Amino acid sequence: MNAQLTLTELAALMKSAAGLTVDPKELANRPDATFAEFGLDSLGLLGIVGELENRQGRPMPTDAERCKTPRDFLALVNTAPDTAPESVPTTGA
Amino acid sequence: MSSPKERRSVVTGIGVIAPNGVSTETFWKATVEGISVLDHVTREGCEHLPLKVAGEVRGFDPADLIEERYLVQTDRFTHFAMAAANLALDDARMGRADYNDSPFAVGVVTAAGSGGGEFGQRELQRLWGQGSRYVGPYQSIAWFYAASTGQISIRGGFKGPCGVVASDEAGGLDALAHAARTIRRGTDAVVVGAAEAPLAPYSVVCQLGYEDLSRLDDPARAYRPFTSGACGFVPAEGGAMLIVEEEAAAVDRGASVRAVLAGHAATFTGASRWEESREGLAHAIRGALQDARCAPEEIDVVFADALGVPAADRAEALALADALGRHAARVPVTAPKTGTGRAYCGAPVLDAAAAVLAMEHGVVPPTPNVVNVCHDLDVVTGRARPGELRTALVLSRGLMGSNAAMVLRQGSPSPS
Repeated sequence: MNAQLTLTELAALMKSAAGLTVDPKELANRPDATFAEFGLDSLGLLGIVGELENRQGRPMPTDAERCKTPRDFLALVNTAPDTAPESVPTTGA
Repeated sequence: MSSPKERRSVVTGIGVIAPNGVSTETFWKATVEGISVLDHVTREGCEHLPLKVAGEVRGFDPADLIEERYLVQTDRFTHFAMAAANLALDDARMGRADYNDSPFAVGVVTAAGSGGGEFGQRELQRLWGQGSRYVGPYQSIAWFYAASTGQISIRGGFKGPCGVVASDEAGGLDALAHAARTIRRGTDAVVVGAAEAPLAPYSVVCQLGYEDLSRLDDPARAYRPFTSGACGFVPAEGGAMLIVEEEAAAVDRGASVRAVLAGHAATFTGASRWEESREGLAHAIRGALQDARCAPEEIDVVFADALGVPAADRAEALALADALGRHAARVPVTAPKTGTGRAYCGAPVLDAAAAVLAMEHGVVPPTPNVVNVCHDLDVVTGRARPGELRTALVLSRGLMGSNAAMVLRQGSPSPS
């Protein structure tokens, strides 16, 4: 499965992972605004990436947690090839 | 700390989140009335543990004061500290307008004895229950001793010198002294204090190895220092934050000088070596008096450490006699913490807050649950005792062996 992440889902993740209340319309209307401008720090984005990996059972593209804007982030995670391994390793090793 | 030519540190704001009150006003009212809020531990997951009585902070909703984005990435101990910092800033009438143009003039110092146990327990349960990918990234900062200093600094925009005292109980006083040194070196104001949250199951289990922990099941008898019934101490959560400012800067902005941090000294005599703490605590008291250029007879009230372990209580009474001489048996001694429990590093900061309020109100708060004192000390029991209080001595010892003493002087009357 390669579910496309929407701005609405991203806004929900920003709420659950980082406690930020962001209107998805705001994310859409300000496509070049950075995560930092929306109040999301690097650990918050890392938490979102981890949550997506756990939900989808596959790793996100390299550098997903380094994206500066919601637009770049969606572009990267939504164009990743669907070559998911069946499961993500659950240990840090 | 007190040379008139030096930059004096004064207290201009007090913020308290304590078991007996989640505001400075309610804390002080309960403290003066000698109300004990020690009660059975109700925290989920603690019911079966051998610690039966504690001082829990109840009725505290951090969301009332702190934005969600800060709450999700912080532990309860930081929630307390951020909330107390808010209250202290409001109390000092210090807002962004006061430091927007000079954010580097305000620093933050906190003390912490254990860090974020509740947050850490939740993430460790995810680690072992679901795997490392389920551990949230904020675990990396939430558990940390420095979390409260960092988050208060970030949230308030305070860019001045920041510090953390990672220590036992006495660290609360050492943090105040650190703030005074910071001010002496040129910073105008420091948001300083300590708050702890040691009542999550993981944190409680960590404390069960302390032989000085009271295991009594009766809230009225579990923590009775200086009596023949002394059987250890009761832990508590919460703490206090103060706004400490350089005196001239405080006066310039029209702030009320509530008290002066006049002197401090600290010593170390080893973990659980209570007999040796006599010498260490006496030395700390002498050092604090010297630092404050204060004669023993000038001390109008002592806020005792009051561990509740017979050997430690004896050592404290003897240390007071060693350092204050005959005055030790005459000066009123109080330990309001017998009504709330000991909030580790937060405990002596709560005592410092109570000392400031006691001097302002001219009344020594009592020592709840304590009757029939068996040491040569004038412990204020039962009811608060009115009196003119110009100078207070606050004492603290830690389970790891630190001893600290701080002298506070009455502030000048409010400019308003």
